Amino acid sequence: MSTGRQHSESRAIPTRTVLINDTTQLPHDYCTTPGGTLFSTTPGGTRIIYDRKFLLDRRNSPIAQTPPAHLPVIPGVTNRNILSENKKNEANNANNHDGKPAAGEDAQFEMDI
Amino acid sequence: MATSEPRAAETEEAPADSPVPAVVSAEQYVKHPLQNRWALWYFKNDKSKSWTENLRLIAKFDTVEDFWALYNHIQQPSKLGFGCDYCLFKDGIKPMWEDDRNKLGGRWLMTLSKQQRHNDLDRYWMETLLCLIGESFDDASDDVCGVVVNVRPKGDKISIWTSNCQNRDAIMTIGQQYKERLNLPVKVLIGYQSHDDTSSKSGSTTKNMYTV
Repeated sequence: MSTGRQHSESRAIPTRTVLINDTTQLPHDYCTTPGGTLFSTTPGGTRIIYDRKFLLDRRNSPIAQTPPAHLPVIPGVTNRNILSENKKNEANNANNHDGKPAAGEDAQFEMDI
Repeated sequence: MATSEPRAAETEEAPADSPVPAVVSAEQYVKHPLQNRWALWYFKNDKSKSWTENLRLIAKFDTVEDFWALYNHIQQPSKLGFGCDYCLFKDGIKPMWEDDRNKLGGRWLMTLSKQQRHNDLDRYWMETLLCLIGESFDDASDDVCGVVVNVRPKGDKISIWTSNCQNRDAIMTIGQQYKERLNLPVKVLIGYQSHDDTSSKSGSTTKNMYTV
């Protein structure tokens, strides 16, 4: 088509890494749908990074206490027995094995029972 | 419609000295978006079926809380049967070498001793998952395709799959930060192997392209 066209120089989209340790630090212009899962970043926007402690803290979220909807039944993987078994093990792990359990993890589990 | 309104019970359980208990409670129902949507797969070695028939999608998630809702309600790797795998991959990437996003790639491979099944496997697996969903490898996180745990009689394996075995910088970043995160002793080495080498190997060992 246009033979005398000038090609502009290309370069990578600049990105910036921002550590987020708390919800209050989420960018104010970040999008979520109510109760939903649609999010957007703009080019040159942020990478969503969560540190270990923040992720572990969220394990006790009320949302995380019920299995996902439409979880398939797979014998030995997702059946009912496993659910209660996991909770028992977690309590033990927090006490005995895991060197760095999330603070208050035990208390939260006891509250749920 | 289900909403995220906190129930009265939660509000009452908030500490008495909390200035705004209602707000604190509502906060508990917030979902935190992940950079990527992830798919968890389960593989069961049933010899009467083909490899792909044995591979089953368990669930997908794209928030921190939905990750835990899944994790809290599935079996730990140490309790799976021999020959079973879990695979967590970015949505759109199949947990197999043949996928376009995997075929030029390889994996950081950690082989565990039999004893480690009871001591370390579940702990390492959870740490690995947190590394992936939390995007712990900075920009090298873009090279991550997924992670696989193989439960095997001879010793279990955890491997982080990346997209291109020539991307030395990204691969080294991932390997070094992963090793640090798992708190592995300096003398314990983990190796990176290309899928090409792994699939075409003749003996029982595949050469390492990189080690940390």
